[in-house]
Amino acid sequence: MNSSNLCRAIALTLALGVSGAAGAETLTIVIEDIREASGTIRVRVHAGKAQFDGEGSVAQFLEPAATGSITLVAEDLPPGEYAIRIMHDVNGNDELDTNFVGAPTEPFAFSNNARAMFGPASWEDARFTLEGEVTQVISLKP
Amino acid sequence: MHRREFTKMMGLLALPWPGAALAEAGDDWSAQFARNLEEHPWLAAWGNIERDHYQSEAEVSGNWPEALRGVLYRTGPAQHEAHGWRNRHWFDGDGMMHAWRIGADGVRHEARLVETAKLRAEREAGRALYPGLAGSPPDPAGLSGPDDLNLANTSVLHHHGRLLALWEAGSPYEIDPETLATKGPYRFPEADGGSSMRGVPFSAHPRMDVDGSVWNFGYASSAGLLVFWHIGADGVLLRAGRIAVEPMTMPHDFVVTERHLLLLLPPFHYRPRANATGFLNMHEWRPEDPCRVLVVDKNDLASHYFLELPAQWVFHFGNAWEDSAGIIRFDAARAPDPGIMTDAFSAIMRGEAIASRPASHYAYRIDTRARTVSEEPLVGSDVQTEFPCVDPGVGCRRYRKLVMLSRSGEQPLGHGALNEVSMLDVESGRRDFFRYPDSQIPEEHLYVPRPGSEPESRGWILGTAHDWRRGRQMLNLFHADSVAEGPIAAAELPYAMPLGLHGKFVAA
Repeated sequence: MNSSNLCRAIALTLALGVSGAAGAETLTIVIEDIREASGTIRVRVHAGKAQFDGEGSVAQFLEPAATGSITLVAEDLPPGEYAIRIMHDVNGNDELDTNFVGAPTEPFAFSNNARAMFGPASWEDARFTLEGEVTQVISLKP
Repeated sequence: MHRREFTKMMGLLALPWPGAALAEAGDDWSAQFARNLEEHPWLAAWGNIERDHYQSEAEVSGNWPEALRGVLYRTGPAQHEAHGWRNRHWFDGDGMMHAWRIGADGVRHEARLVETAKLRAEREAGRALYPGLAGSPPDPAGLSGPDDLNLANTSVLHHHGRLLALWEAGSPYEIDPETLATKGPYRFPEADGGSSMRGVPFSAHPRMDVDGSVWNFGYASSAGLLVFWHIGADGVLLRAGRIAVEPMTMPHDFVVTERHLLLLLPPFHYRPRANATGFLNMHEWRPEDPCRVLVVDKNDLASHYFLELPAQWVFHFGNAWEDSAGIIRFDAARAPDPGIMTDAFSAIMRGEAIASRPASHYAYRIDTRARTVSEEPLVGSDVQTEFPCVDPGVGCRRYRKLVMLSRSGEQPLGHGALNEVSMLDVESGRRDFFRYPDSQIPEEHLYVPRPGSEPESRGWILGTAHDWRRGRQMLNLFHADSVAEGPIAAAELPYAMPLGLHGKFVAA
């Protein structure tokens, strides 16, 4: 990813708002194995199990998809336990498309590359501690 | 079997899922299998393939009728070991598609491993990546959906010129009918132009209706949904339906009548839990619960009701039909519990034969007006059955002749697998059968009608067998009405193949 993309990603983070108490920690998210350069990569950073299992997030990114990998940075987060959800909204309809039985038909992934086994990954598998600078490398490989 | 081994196995039976438990213990199933194979050479039928592609002229004998021309396509689990990992369940083997081509110049066999996404991913990684029905290799990869595990190893559908290799919980795989090369996962075009059926499970036993359309179901365990597919004779999906089932189970087959779709839902309840090793391990057998019978209206796939039978396990049905008074009749190979799948078909991968309670054939009757269901044995209690099938010309309609594998009466144990091909008249109860020599283990046998004949009037029975003593695979042909006289023609390969599952004969 080039530097202009990185800058834009940071700008988007700020624009979408990092809610809650500001902190000094920096989270870098490297998203790999993006297959198609169409649609949007949507990233949500959840603080705590309640946010991960329910609604809400402390940071969101909307990044035009590019094949290969992109890097996003969320700055000024308070230290704590986090988990990340990523989806590739290939057709740009603002949602994770599902089939007739509700299974996702667009790429998705979780922090720690937590495994989805017959359902979404669990908070326990996706959680990580943010303290200082942390980098999560997450693959969207289907 | 030695007494010591037997005692050990009885101990294992006390565990709920011995395959899963042992997989975690990190034992060496491949070495155990190899040791047991030395003592029981018939275990070669569960051995591994030696290569991805097989091809040979067969050595033919007997009288192959001129009227019989076409291809027998078959699939089954074939690659049981790869990357140093032996699968923990017979049904976890990567699928191989076979074609037995019967022509004027003889019989030719070809078989090719289906190149599923799973096979490719594991070859790329150089190791086993995915859990199966039983057991999970170390450090399994994550799943984006059931198709990551798709083995294309269970059955075959040939429809609208397309050859599909079917699994139970994912998409069909399209195979080139000439070269057997894998084209990839297949999606039926949808009449409304949509793509909502992408990745939706398509089970291994679709039923062809009299108008040339195809019915099927699928089960999505985590969503708690049964799905129904109706595909027109032109190959386009006409309709889909879904019905919530709680708790979900593992239905393998279903039947279709003039007006209804029927499923048996054995009390093998889906109970998802973290750290389950294998899909079977996410189910619980509850014999105190009934076997639900789901009756669905063909004209309104949301309209349905449930009836109840005593707990039982059914893999396969022969056929079903419905009379003008609304009475449905169907047949099934009925086992008292799923032990053959949960225990025996896992233990066989270690080369251990453990006793399970076998299936025997039953007739079922549903009164759709009174909404009642009843069952009664079709054969004696000393007759084990499986792989029932009928003349395709009477599919979903009244039938009389049922072909199946069986094992009956007092016999030396030998390999213990089904060793007869039977023709059962479901109306009179008369059963004729041919018993294979102990050196041969038969696979599914099909009813093949003589071209141009009235249904169930003139036809053959065509089926394969694994000769473990000579290391040969056989194709045998019987007259449908005199099966007891034995094969009228045979074709033999210079190699044997692991036992497969289901196939379809496509007339030339």
